[in-house]
Amino acid sequence: MKVLVVDDSKIARISVIKNVVGVMPDVEVFEATNGLEAVELFAKERPSAVFLDLTMPVMNGYEALKRIMEIDKAAQVIIVSADIQSEAKLRVLAAGAKNMYPKPINHEIVKLVFEKDLLV
Amino acid sequence: MIEIKYPDVLLDSLENGHMIVDDAFNVSYWNRWLSINTQIPKEEIIGKSLEKFFPQINYKVLYRKIKTALTIGTPTFYDVNSAKKFVPIERNKVTTSSLRLMQQQVTISPYIACENKVMISIYDISELFEAKLLIKKEAQKVQTLNEKLEADKEVIDKNIMVMKTSTNGIIRDVSSFFCDFFEVTKRELLGKNISMFKLSDTSDVIYRDLWETIRSKIPWSGELQYKTSKGQKKWFLARVVPILNELREIVEFSAVFHDITNEKLLAELYITDPLTKLYNRAHFDETINFIAKNQRKSDVDFILAIVDIDYFKRINDTYGHQVGDDALVCVAKNIKKSLRENDLVARWGGEEFVIMLKNVTLDEAQKIMEKVRSNIEKNIVCHDIKVTASFGLTKYRENEEPKETFKRVDDALYEAKDGGRNRIVVK
Amino acid sequence: MNLEFNEEQIDALREFMNVSIGAATASLASLLDAFGTMHIPKIEICNSSELSNKIESTVDLNSMYYVTKQLFTGKFGGECIFLVSEASATNLGRHLYAIQTPSCDEVNDAVIELTNILTSTIVSRLTQELGIQVQFFVPYLHFTDAHSIVDDGDISKYSKIIIISTILDFQDQQIKGNIYILTKDEAIESLRALIDEKLEEIYG
Repeated sequence: MKVLVVDDSKIARISVIKNVVGVMPDVEVFEATNGLEAVELFAKERPSAVFLDLTMPVMNGYEALKRIMEIDKAAQVIIVSADIQSEAKLRVLAAGAKNMYPKPINHEIVKLVFEKDLLV
Repeated sequence: MIEIKYPDVLLDSLENGHMIVDDAFNVSYWNRWLSINTQIPKEEIIGKSLEKFFPQINYKVLYRKIKTALTIGTPTFYDVNSAKKFVPIERNKVTTSSLRLMQQQVTISPYIACENKVMISIYDISELFEAKLLIKKEAQKVQTLNEKLEADKEVIDKNIMVMKTSTNGIIRDVSSFFCDFFEVTKRELLGKNISMFKLSDTSDVIYRDLWETIRSKIPWSGELQYKTSKGQKKWFLARVVPILNELREIVEFSAVFHDITNEKLLAELYITDPLTKLYNRAHFDETINFIAKNQRKSDVDFILAIVDIDYFKRINDTYGHQVGDDALVCVAKNIKKSLRENDLVARWGGEEFVIMLKNVTLDEAQKIMEKVRSNIEKNIVCHDIKVTASFGLTKYRENEEPKETFKRVDDALYEAKDGGRNRIVVK
Repeated sequence: MNLEFNEEQIDALREFMNVSIGAATASLASLLDAFGTMHIPKIEICNSSELSNKIESTVDLNSMYYVTKQLFTGKFGGECIFLVSEASATNLGRHLYAIQTPSCDEVNDAVIELTNILTSTIVSRLTQELGIQVQFFVPYLHFTDAHSIVDDGDISKYSKIIIISTILDFQDQQIKGNIYILTKDEAIESLRALIDEKLEEIYG
């Protein structure tokens, strides 16, 4: 399966990828460093799951989420963000995200994501 | 690490206030400092709400701060500069009254989070605050002084001629008034050498004296003359001060000029005979009296001469006053041109002139006067009119009253007149 | 003393900072009962003499500012500066005290409180990420024009400093502020060592 990991921070992407691979060793990982790249890669690769940051340059996560959902209503997007305001969570869920987790995430959280949030 | 068995003793020994309250403001601890400073003993307050004892506290704010401390797990603070005091505590300091109530730093630290308990600590920062107030007060004083200084500087700039030069005479600064007076802009002057103001009419002696004095680190005062581009003569009273650094080396020169041209002209007018432009009698009197009084060796060696135009009344009556005046001017010129720079000549009154011939013998004086006499006799006053004059000469005797000298010279003149006029008699 | 940061170290620091600011924004959001927009933190390493220019370039030079400075000390020590314009501070006081015209004391207190939460949350979260503890000192507030935020005469000219800055942004309430975390010399070195440990942990 294909997984798209979107974050402007390299260390944040590595942390997500490490944990995703830890749970699902056979995934094919794609990386994007901002919302625009993410939307383009999503359109091209149609990944089964997207791990998306919110605070990013060029195009932020809110906008990218909106565009991805426009491309595919069934897209499975998990928001991983430092923004831990409950209002932020309400907003992304309303926009179609499957769930939202505060940074930094760990093995247990990713496991939970694949068990509960995503249809694999 | 040892276990602290009596934390009460420890907290009581601290020189700050510590209390433990929960989010309903119930007091569960109250240390000795608080008991003493608020005069509320712990027996009275423990178990009760802070609100009963300190109604002036804004409890909405306090509640928020307590919640914040408990939530974020680090201390929260009140604004230390606030005019509102958390608990008003009178200060007993007598020597100053700038702070009546204790200035406090209040810190709210999480204590037992699950019981919503925090520790409120009160630190006395009055001394620090007082120092701050003092600094502020002093800073204001300095500012006021600076403003005054600026205003004074402006007054000086607009009304006084000031110039600053480097040690080698490069102009560094001039006041606006200086520029206005010389009709130049500041930009034209800065960086130029002072020699552009070559004080052409000031004698080299004065100039040398000026430089020697200031170079030896002593201020110089004196009069300087300057001729403007339009040829006007100006006089200045100048004071040039060498500015020294802490090593007593000259850093720059600062000069203040005062225009005394008007005073100078007035003074000259005061001692000048308007018709002949010679000195007047008052000035001559003053000079001779000064010499007689001081008896300085270099001054007392002089010959006194008196010159009287012959038949002057007749000239006036025959040709009119204008010709009489012309005769006076003509004689004055003839006398003046035969004398040396430091001889003194004045119009004595009517048709009489007095002369002080310095450092000459009677014989030499007689020769000089003889030249004057013959010049007068030869020169035409106007048209074809000529005049002659009679001379009396005498030597001043040391320690003599001037009136005695005048008596002798008058006698000599009388003899010259009596002897047929147009001649010189020496007494 | 080598005070240079490589790209990886800066990336890591920015990410830790991002997480810390996220925590701070959430704390403030609950205090203000509002939603804050998060901005990407900026990290710069420069000479202390450049500080005043860097700060002046981010503010409105015609506005007066409430400047709160709070020190923290420990293995990673430094100074937090929170800048809020007069207009924003008044909005903050209005919002926090729920009154139309807050007094000077109330505005000051509101700013102090906001700074307190901001700095403690940011720095606590950052140091928690880095696995160390710090101690906070009482914040001091000044009201000043944009040119006097940093006293040029006061800072030593030969220090290297690291400026971590971001914007606090509550659009609906019109409350906006600039946050600077400043640290210098040895503290930069120990910060870098801490980041290296953390990188080792994640990459290794």
